Parts: sequence; structure tokens; C-alpha cells
Amino acid sequence: MTPPPAESVAGMIRPAEIPRDSQANRDLLGVMDGVSLGYFGVLALAVGAMLCAGGVWIYQVYKGLGIAGYAHPIFWGVYIVTFVFWVGIAHAGTLISAILYLFRAKWRNAINRSAEAMTVFAVLTAAQFLGIHVGRIWKSYFILPYPNQRGLWINFKSPLLWDTFAIGTYATISIVFFYVGLVPDLAIARDRATGWRKVLYTVLSLGWQGTSRQWKAHNRSVLHLSGLATPLVLSVHSVVSWDFAMSIVPGWHATIFGPYFVAGAIFSGFAMVLTVMIPVRRIYGLERYITSYHFENMSRFILLTSLIVGYAYLSEYFIAWYGGVEAEQTAFWSRAFGPYWISTWVMILCNAVFPQILWWKKARTHVPTLFILSVLINIGMWFERYVIIISGLSREYVPAVWGVYTPSWPELLIVMGSFGFFCQFFLIFLKLFPVIAIAEIKELEIHARAHGEGH
Amino acid sequence: MPALLGVFEQPGHVAEAVRKLKGRGYTDLETYSPAPFAEIDDAVIEKPSGVRLYTLIGGLTGVVTGFALTLWMANDWQIMLGGKPFSSIPPYTIIAFELTILFGGLMTFIGLLVVGKLPHGKLDPGYSARFSGEEFGLVVRCQERDVAEIDGLLRDQHAAEVSLVES
Repeated sequence: MTPPPAESVAGMIRPAEIPRDSQANRDLLGVMDGVSLGYFGVLALAVGAMLCAGGVWIYQVYKGLGIAGYAHPIFWGVYIVTFVFWVGIAHAGTLISAILYLFRAKWRNAINRSAEAMTVFAVLTAAQFLGIHVGRIWKSYFILPYPNQRGLWINFKSPLLWDTFAIGTYATISIVFFYVGLVPDLAIARDRATGWRKVLYTVLSLGWQGTSRQWKAHNRSVLHLSGLATPLVLSVHSVVSWDFAMSIVPGWHATIFGPYFVAGAIFSGFAMVLTVMIPVRRIYGLERYITSYHFENMSRFILLTSLIVGYAYLSEYFIAWYGGVEAEQTAFWSRAFGPYWISTWVMILCNAVFPQILWWKKARTHVPTLFILSVLINIGMWFERYVIIISGLSREYVPAVWGVYTPSWPELLIVMGSFGFFCQFFLIFLKLFPVIAIAEIKELEIHARAHGEGH
Repeated sequence: MPALLGVFEQPGHVAEAVRKLKGRGYTDLETYSPAPFAEIDDAVIEKPSGVRLYTLIGGLTGVVTGFALTLWMANDWQIMLGGKPFSSIPPYTIIAFELTILFGGLMTFIGLLVVGKLPHGKLDPGYSARFSGEEFGLVVRCQERDVAEIDGLLRDQHAAEVSLVES
């Protein structure tokens, strides 16, 4: 018997090649391949900022909250400001995934995965601040309802407790939503990976094969999770706003706070999606998937929510004047012309004035303009919370207890570290999971192919 | 028992093939698709997915737990706060609402696992990486004598290729 030619033996040993892989698979899995020096540089910067903040936090636990710039009567400083900021950022993901899913807005497919990831990471970042701003971190479990020797239960009438439940639920549901969406894509990655990645994706993809039973259950789950997450996303920032609105502090005690905070959260969340995705799209060549069409739609959302936020600013001032409550009038006067006037004007310009350029189509599709605008909005939205919290507390009813607060360096380092904390997660996510929902992109592509390009 | 694998390029062709096969009494079949296509999924399984029931049970458990937890705890050791009643329904509604969503969402996930039969240990012999590319697979388990008929039927429905798989 003659031995088979060497060529065919090599063919037998070689792993079976996939005859023709879809372009979406190649492009989007390609993002996860290899890491450049620049990537490591940015990751090192992010981890460094986080470790630095961690060090400062340990110092704070040792020394006490005195090292924060807290001064009578202001005991909610930039920790709470940054907490509200990150919870706000976390809103775009669920809005894009859940609400736009229910409205069948197909353009969400290009950005939903990264926005969902941002939601998860932003909630995790925000949650850190709940621990950071309490005086005795080792007693923070007191907020949970557990049986104890004192026989006491927690106070369910407190907005802070509603917050615990709202943020806890939001974090859990966001993670479930993110993971359920990932499963089919993890199976795609599993079929093409080798080595440790193969093991990881095999475990995480749960043996997904895309059978009709699985897809049917998956579609139904996504629909139900969207239905549940839609009221949830609106409730979370409402509950956060009630942390303030339920008190009687002038400038906080307003019924507009719920919708005002929700609109602001969606506004800042979309801005953060732009800030993060514009560089990612450029660096990894995703121009085919995230097009000017997507930028236009996101811009419209930003414009709409900017108008709502701007309206809320005006309405707050109007009601302060029209309501005739002197403390309220003083609080708002000092907001615009008092010691925090810079923050107030930064907030008004960045959130209500600059976004008006999005009325022009040219601005909506010009990527550098959008990038700069999104960064300005992020800054503006951080200052919005600064203005509400700090200026509210600094001008309460009795002028004898008025005070001025300046953030201290440990606080600012921890705030900086929170950005590092968020970025490191996102950077690791970029290399571990598909940054765009591949299966959803393919659904559109196969449909288009089946029904002709014009469909 | 032999199994035949047909590979397709269009979701419409798979759905049509499934309907034809079912019409002739071949019901032991499985499809693999790279993305969800309602036409295929509805052809294979006519009933809506059972995940619905899980969400409902989870949500109802959540709302009951939310009210029971708050009302019981507030009355187990009564402490007057701000002159409000011990059983204050409005604030407790917020807790009940959040728990409805939390339990409903978690049960939906459990429903996905149970109904979708996940995690699924070994991949099926008919499955291959091309079905997470952009092709569709249709596996039909049948008697030895029906192989020729099914082969012909799959090819008639525009199957790009048909092969036998171990089953």
C-alpha cells in the first residue's frame, strides 16, 4: 500500500478550518486580539489611579472622615456628588438596551453592548462611594435587613434605604441583562478561540448552540428583562433624587427632582457612551458598524434630554421666585451669584447651552465636535450634582450655620481613582468580550441579504 | 438511528424545510442559527416560550416579599418615626417595587436556563462552528429507510449541502 501524499497528511492533522466566516465575526472578534503598548499604557494609568485612590481610602479609614473637606454644615461632599454622577452614567446602557429594544429601534445594535458594559461598570463604581463616604465602613452592613441581637430592624421610611434597594436591584439586573445578551456572542468566540480563552468561553457560553429552543427562550428573556428594566431605570435615579427631595433643605425640596434627575442621567449616560465609543471606534476600525447614523440618533437623544434638563433649571428658578419662600429664593440667588457661581455657570453652559449646536446636522455628524461636546457634558453633569448638593447644604435656613466647602486633596484623588476604576474594567472588557453584539448585527445583515439590499 | 444534516444559507429556506418535514411526520429535528429568526423558531416550536411563567412567578414573589418584609419588620419592634404610621404603605411600595423587578429578573434568568436547557454539557454532534458564522443547520433524526427521502427534501429546499452525522 502506498502511503498517502504528505500534503493530505498535513491536511488531516490541521484543525478543520471554518470554510467561510462572516465578516462581522472577523471584525468584531478581531478587536479582542492582541494588545498594543498604548493599551497597556492606558490600562497602567487607570490601574495606577485606582491604586492611588485605594491608598488614600485606607488612610481615610485610619484617620477618619476628617481628612475629607467636610465642614459644618456640609457633610455630603464630592463623594456623594461623584456617586450620583456615576449612577447617572449607568443609565444610558439600560435605556439603550431595554427601552430602545421595546421601541424596536434597530440602531441600538451597534452600541447596546458597550453601553450595557458601561452600565455595569458605572454602577460598580458608584457603589464604591457608598462605602467611601460612610464614617465607619466596618459597620456598613447595618443598612441591610438582617436579624440581630438588638432585635432592631432598618427604617424602611428612609430614602437612603430605598436607595440601597434601588441600586442593589439595578446592579443585579444590569449584570443579568449584560450576561444574557453576551451568551450567544460568547458561543461565537468559543467556536473560534484556542487556549485559555477557549476554556473561558466554553464555560461562560453555557453550551449555547443557537437551537430554536434556545433562541426562543433567549428572545423571551430579553423581552421580559427589557420590560422589567424599563421602569427600573426610571425608578433608580428617581429614588436617588429622593435622597435629596425628601428632605426640607432649600434647593432640594422640589417635586421636579424625579424627572429632572432621570433626564439628566440619560443625558450624561449618552455623553459618556460617546466619550468612550468615539476613540474605541477609531482605534479598532469599527466605522462600518458605528456610523454617522448612530451618531445622529444619539445626538438627538442628547439634544432632547438637554432641553429637559435646561427646562428643569429654568423651572427651579421660576418656582423659587414664584413660590415666595425666602429661604428658597436665597438659596437660588446664592447658587448663581454666591460662592459656587463658577460651578453653576459651568453647569448651565455645558448642559443647557452648548448642546444646542446639535440642532445643526453638521454638528450631529461631525465626530470631533461630538467628542468635545460629550466631554463638556460629562464635566457639566458632574458640576450639576456639585451645585445641587453643596450649594444646597451651604445655605440652609439659619444664616448663622452657613458655611463654605472646598474639596480636599484626598477627596479629589479618590474621585480621580473612580475614573481609573471605571476605565480599567472597560479596557479589560474590550479584550475579553465582543464590544458590539455580533449576533444582533448578523441578524440585520442576514435579513438584508435574504430580502435584498433595499430592504 | 441516523441523522441528516442540511446546511442552509437563508433563514426562509430553513423554515420552509422544517414545515415540509413536519408535514411528512418527521418531528425529531433541531436547527442551529447564528442569530434569532422568528420564522425558524416559530416553525420548530409553535408554542410561546415557557420563560413567561418564570417571570410572572418571580415578580409576584417579589411584590409579596417586599410588602411582607417591610410590614413585618416595622411592626416586630415598633418605633415611631416622624409621627408616621408603623404600616406606611407609600414608602414600602418602593421596596416592593424594587423587589418585584429583582425577583422577576432573576427568575427570568433561571427560566432561560431551564427552558433553554442550559448549561448544555457537550455540543451536539451535528453542531459546528459554521453555525455561529452565517450558515444555518438543520438536523433530522430518522429511520434508515427514510434517509433518501429526507435527503431529497432538504436538497429541494435549497440546502447547500447534506451529510450524515453520527447521532
